[in-house]
Order: sequence, then C-alpha cells, then structure tokens
Amino acid sequence: MQIEFIGAFNIIIGVLVRFWPVWLGLAIVLGASFTYKKRLGLYGQLFDSSVGIAGVVICLFWLFTAIFASTVAPFDPLSQIPVMKDALPGAIEPASKGVYLFGGDKLARDIFSRMVYGSQIVLIIAPAATGFALMVGITLGLPAGYYGGKIDTVLSFLANLVLAFPVILLFYLLVTPGIMDTPIPYAMAGLFFLFPIIFFCVLFWTRYKNRPDRLYWLMGLTLVLGGWIYIGLVFDADPLRIVHIEPNQLNIFVAVVFASSPGVFRIVRGLTMDIKTRDYVAAAQTRGETPWYIMLWEILPNARGPLIVDACLRIGYTTILLGTLGYFGLGLAPESPDWGTAIKDASRLLRSFIHPALPPTIALMSFVLGLNLLADSLREQSMKD
Amino acid sequence: MNEAVKATNTANAQPIIEIENLSISFFTRKGEIPAVMDFSCTVMPGEAMGIVGESGCGKSTVSLGIMRDLSNVGRIVGGRIKFQGKDMGDMTEDELRSIRGNKIAMIYQEPMASLNPAMKIGQQLMEVPLIHDKVSKDEAYKRSLEMVRAVKLPDPERMMRSYPHQLSGGQQQRIVIAMALLSKPALLLLDEPTTALDVTVEAGIVELVKGLGQQFGTSMIFVSHNLGLILETCDKITVMYSGEAVETGKIKDVFDRMRHPYTQGLFRSIPLPGADKNERPLIAIPGQLPLPHERPKGCNFGPRCHHFVEGVCNAAEIPMIDVEGHEGHFSRCVRFEEIDWAALPPGAKKSAEPVKPGAPVLKIDDLKKYYHVGAGGVFGGGEGRTVKANETISFEARESETVAIVGESGCGKSTLAKVLLGLETASSGKVTLGNSEIQSTGIEKRNVDTVSAIQMVFQNPFDTLNPSHTVGSQIIRTLEKFKVGKTVADRKQRMLELLDLVKLPRAFAERKPRQLSGGQKQRIGVARAFAGSAKVVVADEPVSALDVSVQAAVTELLMDIQRKNKTTMLFISHDLSVVRYIADRVVVMYLGHIVEQGTTDQIFSPPYHPYTEALLSAIPIADTSVVKKHIVLEGDIPSAMNPPSGCPFQTRCRYKHLVPDGRCEKEVPPLKELGGGHRSLCWLSDEVLATMEPVIRFDKEHAALEGIPDDAAGVVDGVAVAGDGKAVRKAALARKSTRTVKKAIPAELPAEAAAAEKPATRKVATKAAETPKRAISAKRAKAKAGAKPAKIAAGKSVVSAPVETPAEPIDPADVGRPAGMVRPSQPDDLKLIVGIGPQIEIVLNDFGVYRFAQIAGWSETEREWVDKRLMLLGRSERDEWIKQAKALADGGEEEYVRVFGRKPR
Repeated sequence: MQIEFIGAFNIIIGVLVRFWPVWLGLAIVLGASFTYKKRLGLYGQLFDSSVGIAGVVICLFWLFTAIFASTVAPFDPLSQIPVMKDALPGAIEPASKGVYLFGGDKLARDIFSRMVYGSQIVLIIAPAATGFALMVGITLGLPAGYYGGKIDTVLSFLANLVLAFPVILLFYLLVTPGIMDTPIPYAMAGLFFLFPIIFFCVLFWTRYKNRPDRLYWLMGLTLVLGGWIYIGLVFDADPLRIVHIEPNQLNIFVAVVFASSPGVFRIVRGLTMDIKTRDYVAAAQTRGETPWYIMLWEILPNARGPLIVDACLRIGYTTILLGTLGYFGLGLAPESPDWGTAIKDASRLLRSFIHPALPPTIALMSFVLGLNLLADSLREQSMKD
Repeated sequence: MNEAVKATNTANAQPIIEIENLSISFFTRKGEIPAVMDFSCTVMPGEAMGIVGESGCGKSTVSLGIMRDLSNVGRIVGGRIKFQGKDMGDMTEDELRSIRGNKIAMIYQEPMASLNPAMKIGQQLMEVPLIHDKVSKDEAYKRSLEMVRAVKLPDPERMMRSYPHQLSGGQQQRIVIAMALLSKPALLLLDEPTTALDVTVEAGIVELVKGLGQQFGTSMIFVSHNLGLILETCDKITVMYSGEAVETGKIKDVFDRMRHPYTQGLFRSIPLPGADKNERPLIAIPGQLPLPHERPKGCNFGPRCHHFVEGVCNAAEIPMIDVEGHEGHFSRCVRFEEIDWAALPPGAKKSAEPVKPGAPVLKIDDLKKYYHVGAGGVFGGGEGRTVKANETISFEARESETVAIVGESGCGKSTLAKVLLGLETASSGKVTLGNSEIQSTGIEKRNVDTVSAIQMVFQNPFDTLNPSHTVGSQIIRTLEKFKVGKTVADRKQRMLELLDLVKLPRAFAERKPRQLSGGQKQRIGVARAFAGSAKVVVADEPVSALDVSVQAAVTELLMDIQRKNKTTMLFISHDLSVVRYIADRVVVMYLGHIVEQGTTDQIFSPPYHPYTEALLSAIPIADTSVVKKHIVLEGDIPSAMNPPSGCPFQTRCRYKHLVPDGRCEKEVPPLKELGGGHRSLCWLSDEVLATMEPVIRFDKEHAALEGIPDDAAGVVDGVAVAGDGKAVRKAALARKSTRTVKKAIPAELPAEAAAAEKPATRKVATKAAETPKRAISAKRAKAKAGAKPAKIAAGKSVVSAPVETPAEPIDPADVGRPAGMVRPSQPDDLKLIVGIGPQIEIVLNDFGVYRFAQIAGWSETEREWVDKRLMLLGRSERDEWIKQAKALADGGEEEYVRVFGRKPR
C-alpha cells in the first residue's frame, strides 16, 4: 500500500493550524499584557525589550502547548499504526486520513503528537521540582546566612558535599531499579515535601502571631492543603484520588530536588548575608522582632529579584536534566513521550532517518532558550532604575 | 602646563576652560531628560572654581561633560566647551583621548574605585608618564616617586610597592591625586574628592589639594555639596539648582551678599556657628527638588521660593542677570533687586524656650565591649584576637536632653549604640535605663516596654525602610510590636497620626519607600522611632546622608518631637557643626575611649582635648568671617585591632612633647576633671591647657584687611580663658552674649571675673603677637570680655557670677554703644522698618532700643556698633534703617509712605 504525502507548505500550514488554541491563548495573554503593561511591574517591563518579549512568548507557547496538548495533538502519543513506521513528514495515515505532520518514529507513533505531549511532562516536573528545590534552599539558606556560625558551617558543608558529587552519577544511583525498591526515595520525598508546609506555617505564624483571626485561617488552609498534597504525593493515599504521581516520576522528582536545592541554598545564603547588614533589618531587630520574622518578612522579599532570575534558569537546567535522564533511559517509562526519551529513540536510526530526532531536540532547545532569555531580560530590567 | 603657569603672570591671560551655555541631556525610556541647562563658566589659569549644589542638580554631569565622558545615554545638546581656546566639540576622538588624563585630570569620590586593585601602586602611577609622555621606565619611576613624595605619603618606596587595598582610604585618595597630577594637567576636576573620608583625613586632603594647586599652578573645578569645603578651597563659586547655575561669582561676593533666594536658603539651612536651636533655629527650604522631567516653567526654584511672584517668576525662562557692583557676579533671579535680603521668610520659626533637662534617664557606667575575632570555621583553628570596641565608657543622659556622641569612623560610637539597643551585650560595666539594668539583656529578652523605650533613627535613608513593604504597613507593624492600640483600626488611626506628626501627607501610607525622597524616608524613620513611647532615641547620623536643605528640616523635626515628648536623644555624629547646633552635652570618642565630655559650650571652647581641637579645626565652615586655626593631624586612625599603647590618641597628638617622660606612650591618661562636669582624657597639665586658643573665631578686622565688605564681620567667639592659679575656668561663649543680654540692659561684668580674665588674655595676646591677624583677634578677645557674662545669667555656665556690681562700659567694645532706655509701656513696633525682623527686634530691645526715635538718632559709630552685634542675624545693609526710623518717628506711617512711596511692613 502506497502512503500519500502532503507537501512542505501544507505541513507548515498544518502545524500552525494544529496549534490554534495556543495562538489564541498567546494572543489573549499578550494583548492583555501590552494593554496593562504599566501596571504590571517587573513583568510589564519585560515587554520593553525584544529579548524579554521573545522569552515570554516562547515560554508561554510551551505552557499553552502543555495545557492544550490533547487538542493540539492529532494522535494518541502511545498508539502505534504499523503502516506508518518510519514514515516521512507529511505522510497521510490511511485509516483516519489524519496527517503524521512530522512523520512517524520507529515504533510507528506520530512524532508531532509525542512532541506535544512531551511538553506536558517537562512543564509539570521542571517547574514543580524547581519550586520544591527553592523551598528547601530558602528554608535552609535563610538561617545559614542569618545566624552564621555553627549552623552555617554545618549546612554549607552538607550543601558542598552534595554539590561535589557528580550529578549524573547521583542520578544513576537514585533512579536505578535497585534503589527504587528500597524506601529511600519515599523517605526523601517525605522529607523534601515537608519543607513547603513548614515554610508557609512559619511564614504565617511569625507575621500573624498577635492576630489570631487571620492566623487560624491561614494556618488551617496551609495545613489542610499541604497535608492533602503531601499524603497524595508521598503515600499515594489521596482520599479524593486527584493527587497522584507515578513512582518513577516521584523518583525523578526527588532526585532533581536533591540535586538543585544546594544551589538555591547557596544563593539564598549569600543574599541573606548581604541583606542582613541593612538598616531596616537592624530596625526590625531593635523593635524586638523574632529572627524568623526578619528572615521571612524583611530579608526574603528583598532577595526575590535574584531568586526569580535563578528560578528561571534553574527550570531550564532541570529541563535539560530531564532530557539527559530520558536519554539515558533513567526513571521514566520506556514508551513515555518525553523529549529526552524521544531523542534517545531517534538517535539509534540517525543515519537512516533524521526527522524523528529533530522535533524533540528543537522543542527542548527552544524551551530552554526561552527560559534563558526570560531570565536575562528579568535580570536586565530589575537592574534598571 | 608650563605655558599655563607662565600665563598666570601675564595680565590678559587666556582662560583654561570656557563653558558657554552648555546643555546636556540624557535620553532614557521616558524620553529626553535635560540634566544641565544653559551652564556657563570660565576658569582662569591657577584659579579654583567650586560647583556646589544638592544631589541631582547636575554638578557631576557638568564635570563629566567637560571630560566628554557621558555614558551612552548622555549627550551634549547645546553650547560649547573651549579648552585652552580650542572648541572641544571640534576635536576628534584621538585628540580628546590625548587631553583626558593628560591636560584634564579627574579625581572621583571613591578612591578605591579609581585604583586598579590588581596592580601595584607604582605600576599604576608609572603608566601615566609612560603613556602620555612616552618616557623611559626609569624616568617614569623617578617621576612617580617624586609625586608620591609631593602628596606627603610616608615611606614612598614602600607605597610604590604596595597594592591599593594595603592603604587606608586617605592614602588611596592621595595616590589618586598623585596620579592625576603626574601628567601635570592644566585643569583638575575634583568630584566630591573627600566625601568618603573622615573629617580629620579630609582636612589633610583639602590642605594638600590647595597646596598642590598653588605649587603646580593647576586650575581646579571642585564639585561638592559642602559649602564650607568650597570656601576653603576655591576662588569662585557656582551654585547649581535643578540643572541650572543659579548664582555665580567670587566666593566673597556670593557668601556675603548672595543674590539668589536658593543660595540664601542654603546658607540659612546649614548650622553655622551662629545658629542655636533655641534662639536661632535653622530655616529649611520648603518642598523638594523637582524631578528633571517635572521642572516648572520659568524659575526652577519658584515653587520653593517665598519671594515667588506669579507672572514674574514663572513668565519666561530666566537668564543670568549681572549683579551690579560685583565683578563677575550673576544671579538667575529676576527679583533680586526688590527682595529684602535680611528678612526672614514668613512662618520661620521663632525662638523657642530652652528645655530644662530633668532626671537622668540613661546612665552608662564603666561600660566595656570587647569582640573576639579570628577563631571559628568547621575545622577550628586560627587564633582569636580581641577588639576593644568600647573602653570604660561612662556618661549619663537626662530627660529631654540631647547628648551628642562625636567621633570618626571606628571610634566605637556605633558599637555603643548597639549595646544600648540590645543588639549586643556589654562585656562589663552597667547601663541603667530608668530603673532597670539592661547591659546584659539582649533584645530578644527585653520586655516590650524596654524595647519601645529605647529606639533608633538610622543613618542611611535608602536603607532605613524595607523596600518591599508599604510605609504604612511598616509603621503599623512597629505599633503592633509595641502593643500600641488594641485593634487593627486603632493602629491604623495611630499610624496616620504619626504621619501627621512627621508632617507627611496621609496618602503616603500606601506608598512604597522607593516612591519617597531621602528626606521623606528619614521622616518615616523618625515616626517609627517615636511610635512607642520612646524615652531614649538614639539617632545615628540621621541627617548626614541627606541634602543640605532637607537636613535642616529633618533636624528641626527631630528636635520638635523630642521637645514635645521630653525624649532623651543620643545624637551620634561626626559633624561638629550639627552637634554644636543640636546638642546640650557632647561626648567625644576616639578609638573606643571617651576622650572628652562636657556641655556643648565647654567642648567648643578651650581648654580642649587635643583630638577635639583637631576635629573642630577640621570642619569646613561656610562663613567668610570665621577664622579657624589650622590643625592637620598626621596619619590615619589606628586600627582598633591593634591600638597604640598608652593614650589612644598619642600617635597623632601634636601636644605629646609637652608631657614629660613619654607618659602618653606608656599609660592611659586619667579622666581629668576640668570643672562643671567637663572631663578630658589627657596628660596635659593645667598650664598647657590654659594657653589653648579657641579654634573658631569671628574676625571683623581680619575681614576688613582683606577688603571684604564690612557687613561680613562679626564678634569674637568663645574666647574666655580664665586662669586663676591652677583651676581652669571657662566663661560662656561670647557669641551668645551678644544676643542674650536678657536680664540686664547694660552689659554687666563681675569685677572678679574681669580681674581673673585679664592676665589670661594678655598671655594669649603676647603669644599670638607674631602675626597681626592673631594679635587683632586677641585684642578683640580682650575687648569682648566686657559683654561676656550674659550666659552666666542664663544659668548654664560654670562660672557662678555675683551680679551686683554693674561695671561701667569702660571696655573698648562698648565704645559707640547707643544709649538704652527702660522698656516703655508701649514700645514702637520696630518690625515696621524693612530689614528688622522679629529676632532682630528682640536683640535691639535687649540693647534698650524700643523707639523709632532712638534709631533715628544713631550716629555713625553707634550704627556700626549695632551692626557688629547684629552681624549674625543676616547680612544686609542697615543704612536705610535710620532714614526709615526717622520717617516713622516724625510722622508715623503716613510720613513713611510719603518718603518712601510704599507702606511700611
């Protein structure tokens, strides 16, 4: 049976059309952002430079792609249609008359759909893992920088220990099936996921200690929400069955948090040491504030600039890390559509077919580039005036 | 350069630099922002021009514009800069490069930023002749070494081998100056060269710059915000405001007969020696500098000027107008001929009652604070050393009293504040606040009352508020911590009241600190400190980072609130002018020790501690009639890590040789009691102390010798050294006596005090006879003795004076004194005379002058006599008075209107 093809021009048109929900979303968000630019603070200032606009557009593009993946992708990322094995871009699938826009891979899956679904995995794990790493790094970095002395020495030593260990080797160790059978990943998850809850409890407690009306409300909310997510993630025992994570994904998650929190720790520690010499910190001390209030409410808000920039870059690193993991076949399921796994699969046949390797590579590259541009522009804008 | 030196000798020399109508703009996101508009000035060879103004007025932009070193957003949009007759606009990039650093050199504010930390001093200096003069390495080394010697650095060879970080700030700045002078520039641009340095170090640098300027014949443009510094270094001055030069002229003309309201406002808002917080408060300029893109039409100063007239001042752009009678004196004010320059602005604060200090609130007894440094780290190691930050500190502060703690950086004043506030605990000694001892209670362990009882106002306005929270929420948080108010609404109300208290609009509660100016932020800082019921407020240099015109307003605010709340204030400062103005008592610190303490009068008049003397002489004073003794300390402040043995000040003391057996180097001197609570940490004997002369004097004759207009002259300040036997006593400051003869109409001199004073003053006179200048001042000192005991009556001085024997006006000082009269039941309103304000009226009343007829009848000598006494209250011609008074005395207001064609005030 002969497979029919559409031309290059039609492929481009086809891709653009498939992304219609993304374009719509982008148009709405960018339109709103441009209109209210003046009132949006730092985010609004991003639109003053072309670099900033490029960064925002690329990041939003992938965000919307992940959100609308089921609409954008024409095929199921896992279903195989044997006739389409190694099909070239633009091949028309005979049964449904749908088009494999970027062709099929060696297992006869639609590369375009896999790329679109792959963004979901990256956009969930990378920002979330970075978020948790931030929480861990901040909660440990603040006291290390603020108190100094013994606490700082011990925590910095531990952070250096983790940083001194080769990252890939660390992942090999953490994500191998042998380790996955032990309770180690769950214990680590249990530890790391505790940090956000502690963080928010301390945050609200220090501020609203003397105002019970607000305190109970906020603390209750933190504990209920935090506890619910915690139970779901660590024990996989969410009574509502909404919060759920695959064991191997959890594993990757934990590994990523473990590897990037020392970096955040060091940044926060350095910023804290700088900011604690300011007069407003001394002013807070002289009115008898507790150390944790000063750390969380006086110092942390003023460290936010560099932290936001760092978070952007860190999401990029994590994305690359996920790609690397996928490429090594670590952690994620072999049929998972994530970009790293897709690149690995394609690399085996690189001499015969180049087209399965390009879309995931370009996707990965463009997303990280977008994040870096965003971070760059954020840094630039926050340095101005 | 050589041509330039010769040029000074020729009569019609060519100017070094000629700036004509220079305009510089910055192009930013918000469009074009003019930074400098229509700026003109000419600097002749060997001349020094001072550019003075507040931050943001464009003074640094001018100097960068001369260098053509504007960043990529700045551009010269109009006017010309001619350097040695050549238009710099026509020069190529190459020509400009050969001029920069060669014919025009620049010295920046921060010395460390001007030196390359990775290169040795020698290498950096040698680069200059190597590049510009293309000499051999040996020659370059030789020249560099000579220059290091010329800037008076110790051990030049070693200096050449050191890296910048091995030198102190003052030494670094000397190296920068040496580097600038190595190419023998024709023009030297100094952009706030001493702002980052301590006062005593600053004095050394200023002297150096002046000396080198004369030695090498270099022209200078000296950019500074400090009027006193300009007076000491420059020949001409340009005052800038909001991007424009508002007044320019010779130093003497501008300082004594300023013809622009802004210049006058500046002078009125700095604490000159004549100011006094009770009798002559500072007058702040209202409002604040307009933003560059929100400048008003016409006069930029209009909205803040109390001489503003609608339709005149804001009609059109105002050019520089020539002031008649003064060569090269221009003012950018259309109304300067109509303005009454002696009148105080309406609403200016009248004198306030001096506060009576109550019971002691804070007692500090033998306080010590040592730090241990060096040890630590995960693997231990390193030997700990002890830094003695505070050593045997003892003093007390009473209710509603202001105690100033004075000293340069590293003297331990901030450590003392930390101990008081509980951020550190004392190593030993006692601190008693009210009835409780707090020296070893850290801030966490203090109860709410103690915490709110002792609060602090911080130095840096840009740091004092957290940039992430709104102003209101920060004040509310403080109230919450101090348990003020029960509900959220209560606290909000109280917060708004606090904003009222510090005279800020209530809308500011919603603002973020970055939307506030420096002065406004500092007001919020004050509000925060007074949020609880603070008994003691520690103010750590609260105004030193603010602009001059704002400083006065914040200082006044601080004192108003203090007066109202009867708060004790510890005012930490290095600026003795402000201290003299604000403080009741002064504590001088050096390297952790209190070297001298006493009332303000005791500290500011002899006998001094040698360090206090140097500190006093180091402060630049923006008053042409002030004559200062020049004492420049050698070297830098020793490190607290490695303090000198014996007396802490012995390494820099110029009296050391007067103490036998080298005791200064061996033992810490005892706190010597000088009477009336005045203590000094010094080995000097009473005889030596008794011969000390006052550092700051007003000198009319001196002024006259130099051809200064006579209204610049004044009264002798703080001269009385009374020595009877061993006890050294001090009479009150004479400057006050001229105005405060409140009880008795003729000056009364206790015979006993007069007898005691004469030998002492005579001694001074003989000693000072070598220079005519000094002799005159000594004579005046003697003369002034007649009017001295005024302060005694006020009850502050240590000399207890029997007041029964009114002395005859035998004194030369009283020659020409107009006859006084007893206060009539209905005295004339002297304020009707233009030039007499409420304060001058009080002074005149003190002389017994109540009637127009009295003034109308003054002879020439009498008028001069009054003139001298009034000098401090405003510099203006008083010739008109007699005419005006005559008219008023003859026929009241109608006659006045007939003669002068206008109504009296």
